[in-house]
Amino acid sequence: MKKIHIVGMIMIAIAIVMISTAADDLSTYADFQTARQSNSLVKIAGVLSKDKEMQYDPAIDPNYFSFFVKDSKGEEQKVVLYGSKPQDFELSEQIVITGKMKDGDFIASDMLLKCPSKYKDEEIYIKAAES
Amino acid sequence: MESIQYIGEHLLPGKLGHIFILLSFVSSLLAVAAYYFATKHIGTTSYASWRRIGRVGYSLHGISVFAIIGTMFYIMLQQYYEYHYVWEHVSEDLDFKYIFSAFWEGQEGSFLLWMFWHVILGGILMFSAKNWEAPVMAILALIQVFIGSMILGLYFDFGLSEFRLGSNPFMLLRDLKEAPIFAQADYLEKIKGTGLNPLLQNYWMTIHPPTLFLGFASTSIPFCYAIAGLWTKQHRAWLKPVLPWALFSGAILGTGILMGGAWAYEALSFGGYWAWDPVENMSLVPWIILLAGIHTNLIANSTGYSIKSSYIFYLLTFLMIVYSTFLTRSGVLGETSVHAFTEMGLEVQLISFIVFFLLLSVVLFFWQMRNIPTPKTEESAASREFWMFIGALVLLFSAVLITGSTSLPVYNKIAALFDPGFEGKTITDPITHYNKYQMWIAVFIALLSGVAQFLRYSAVNWKQQAPKVMKRLGILAAITVGLTFLTNYWLDIYAWQYLVLLFFCLFSVVANLDYLINFTRLNLKVAGSSLAHLGFGLMVVGSIASGLNKRHISSNPFATRGLLEEELIKKNVVLFKGVPLKMSGYDVTYVKDEFQGNNRLYEINYKKKSPAGEVIEEFNLFPTALYNNVVTKVAAYNPDTKHSLTEDLFTHIASIPKVEADAEFAKSFEDSLNYINYPISGEEPIYILDTILALDTMVIRKFSAELVSTTKHPESEEYEAQEGDLAIGAKIIIKNVEDLKDQWTVDPIFLVRKGQAFQFPGQINEASLRVNLSPASFPYFFTPEEQLDYELISFKLGDKLRFKDYEIEFSGVNKTPDHPDYIAQPKDIAVSANLLVRDTRSGETKTAAPVYLIRGKNQGSFKDVLDDWRLHFNFESIDPESGSIKIRVAKNEQARPKLVLSIAKKSFRTDYVVLEAIIFPGINFFWLGAILMMVGLGMSIVHRRNLAH
Repeated sequence: MKKIHIVGMIMIAIAIVMISTAADDLSTYADFQTARQSNSLVKIAGVLSKDKEMQYDPAIDPNYFSFFVKDSKGEEQKVVLYGSKPQDFELSEQIVITGKMKDGDFIASDMLLKCPSKYKDEEIYIKAAES
Repeated sequence: MESIQYIGEHLLPGKLGHIFILLSFVSSLLAVAAYYFATKHIGTTSYASWRRIGRVGYSLHGISVFAIIGTMFYIMLQQYYEYHYVWEHVSEDLDFKYIFSAFWEGQEGSFLLWMFWHVILGGILMFSAKNWEAPVMAILALIQVFIGSMILGLYFDFGLSEFRLGSNPFMLLRDLKEAPIFAQADYLEKIKGTGLNPLLQNYWMTIHPPTLFLGFASTSIPFCYAIAGLWTKQHRAWLKPVLPWALFSGAILGTGILMGGAWAYEALSFGGYWAWDPVENMSLVPWIILLAGIHTNLIANSTGYSIKSSYIFYLLTFLMIVYSTFLTRSGVLGETSVHAFTEMGLEVQLISFIVFFLLLSVVLFFWQMRNIPTPKTEESAASREFWMFIGALVLLFSAVLITGSTSLPVYNKIAALFDPGFEGKTITDPITHYNKYQMWIAVFIALLSGVAQFLRYSAVNWKQQAPKVMKRLGILAAITVGLTFLTNYWLDIYAWQYLVLLFFCLFSVVANLDYLINFTRLNLKVAGSSLAHLGFGLMVVGSIASGLNKRHISSNPFATRGLLEEELIKKNVVLFKGVPLKMSGYDVTYVKDEFQGNNRLYEINYKKKSPAGEVIEEFNLFPTALYNNVVTKVAAYNPDTKHSLTEDLFTHIASIPKVEADAEFAKSFEDSLNYINYPISGEEPIYILDTILALDTMVIRKFSAELVSTTKHPESEEYEAQEGDLAIGAKIIIKNVEDLKDQWTVDPIFLVRKGQAFQFPGQINEASLRVNLSPASFPYFFTPEEQLDYELISFKLGDKLRFKDYEIEFSGVNKTPDHPDYIAQPKDIAVSANLLVRDTRSGETKTAAPVYLIRGKNQGSFKDVLDDWRLHFNFESIDPESGSIKIRVAKNEQARPKLVLSIAKKSFRTDYVVLEAIIFPGINFFWLGAILMMVGLGMSIVHRRNLAH
């Protein structure tokens, strides 16, 4: 057996290990029901509940923005983002939030907005916290 | 439907443009065919004539591409909005310098940019590739056929279904959009272009796409050489001429990718240069594979090993470019990417593009696999080529991992085809996911790049050299340990994995520096590789430093690592105008803001003070709010960064008050303010009650307002008097009744200028009150003449005459009168009468000076009013002979009208910004390393080109 084959086999072995651990990084889009049962980060795709109250008042706290999201099952849930309110938030068609439940609120650490626009499908990416 | 004769359309350029598109497509087909036959006839007499046809075909193709681009620029510069592409990317207010950005903003434009570079590169190949010209150009022309088909714009009607081949950039707006306006023949006069996205109106958009697309286009050349090598069965001969092209491609594509990172960091508010976004990943992957190819190519040139892998890597590089084109342009990335294009119906064509060249590569490779020469003996474990090859495998490994994760949306799509109920998977936290794996790749690459330099090809003299090399590496490792501790003293890295990475990267830097100085003796010809590897090490050190240790100084100054959950680390502070705020040793002040075009610059002042209070460092940063093209709404906030050797201070505005950010909202907000009119006189204060609703309590605040003075000639910061203005102003003191220390003065102004009314309110932020002077206040200032009952009095100089309770003395005339309403003109004859008026009851004296004016044939007067006594004086006439004057005097006996204030409660202050400030330590190592890497690659091009000849 050539040395290079041994190296190749080691690499394949590492690859298998990596792929099996990488599976933990994957998830399907969750809903608030599963978020409540889970203790880890979940990703939820939903739409903004436009009739519900949105709260962002920098004069009180520039790092507190709350709003309601309706998930794929139609459940509405209050979401809190410890950051500023993104530009054109109200116009978003779809919101993808990453985070977890805490004390009845969904705390988002990451948010991706999809906005309809006259431009190319321009999206706004908000990092709530450093990663 | 009956056809309409549209007015003002310019249809000729569009027709010409489409002809050029068809011509470019046909001529590229001609070039493919001719170069194909030329290749078949290499060595025969007909070779030269086939080659000539190929050259003509490709030149014709090149000219057509230039003509298409020229025509597009023409219609864009002429702003022919009847064309969809022009309408979508150009607007009247678009600055000329952004015309290029507008050109490649759209898909069609960027395909053309790609083709443009292929034309240029093909032109160079025609003159320099010698024997390789025919096969290489045949493949390049074939690639052009496929890209060209993307803009072809041909429709095929199969009865039941129709198929569109490519998207023609010269499509008319009215053919693509349906709108009632197109029923009007003169619709062109009523439409405007939508224009370039303001986010893209910067110089990055001018330089980044052409560089990146040159990078994309240049990967085609190694691909063409590899195919040519397989096709003509010259498995060794292509390896030397391809290397400079591969290095060129590596340098340009690398620069293009880095420019994207620099753009994100310098001009966008993401707060970083790399986010593992799918689009970023898919331009990185081909580059990584290309680097692997360059390494195996070097091995093959020096030892004859790794020819197969060189084939595979170069083929794969281009295939990955096409795959990345598919991912970014087919819309499949959907919600996972920040900057993917939207669907354009080109999916089928893009997939055929990949499948065709994939099949071509695979078929040719397996057809020739057994003929590709491989040395019989195995390479020695002490040889340079062995470890270089391992390095190339590690690079491939990295590319496979990134591609695998990035392609998740593609699996989801495929899985959903077979199982409609399939729920798509997604990576919960992409950045952590990628970093976790790629950091170990970086460890290996850094180690290999540090060690392999000291090994020799074929392990020449290894037995004698081994002790020396081992000793040297040992010393270098020892130095690196010391350096790692020193660096960690600065960085304070808490995870052992990152310490390992730091160590190996520093090792790579140290080892390559040593090699550069002591082995290449700074000979620039051969220093390229050491320099590039040193750059890689430095780059990763920079990203560890800036990535792990970036810290928000805009708040939570005491947040210690680990005490707060990540998402609770607050990042923003509110900065009120003119109010300094302490942030991690800086006094930060929002000084002012001003508009430059549609860009609003905020001046943020940073001051660092010594304990004694002296300013030891001071600088200004100018983060901006970028408004849309008509300046009614903020489109984006862009950062500004203070660069210094050891760290960067990145500052950007996270938010501004909505009334400042959105004109429509500001108007509706102003309209929604509930103004209440409060009549006020100078005698007694008025009271204002404000109810504040807290969660479960109600607080009532009571304010008093007192009128201090009024004026018909107000002045303020916002209001500058102009001739012809009619303005009134008042000075009001507002007090908090519960706490008299809280008191504020406001000077509201009401102005009528050229028939339009303007209000300049006084805002009291602490009380959330806004005070306007109502137009209902005019009767307070101006008395209608018909209300006055004048009495005509005749005076001689020195006369003291009685009028009601007043004694009026005519004390003289002034021939250069000074009256606020009178503006002197040459040839005017104007005098004012000096009247001393004494109140006989109080004994108080005031002066009135009405003016008498003769201007040409007209005569008139400017009256003077003693407001407090409500006395009005008009200068009626002069009798020069007797020296007497006639004055009309009236006292307004009616009750004085009150001043009217309109006051709005809940008017919150709007002079603040929400600021985010981040320190990135050591980020300049990242950029320095990246530049060294590209310079190293560039230097190698020169060296390898000389070797190839």
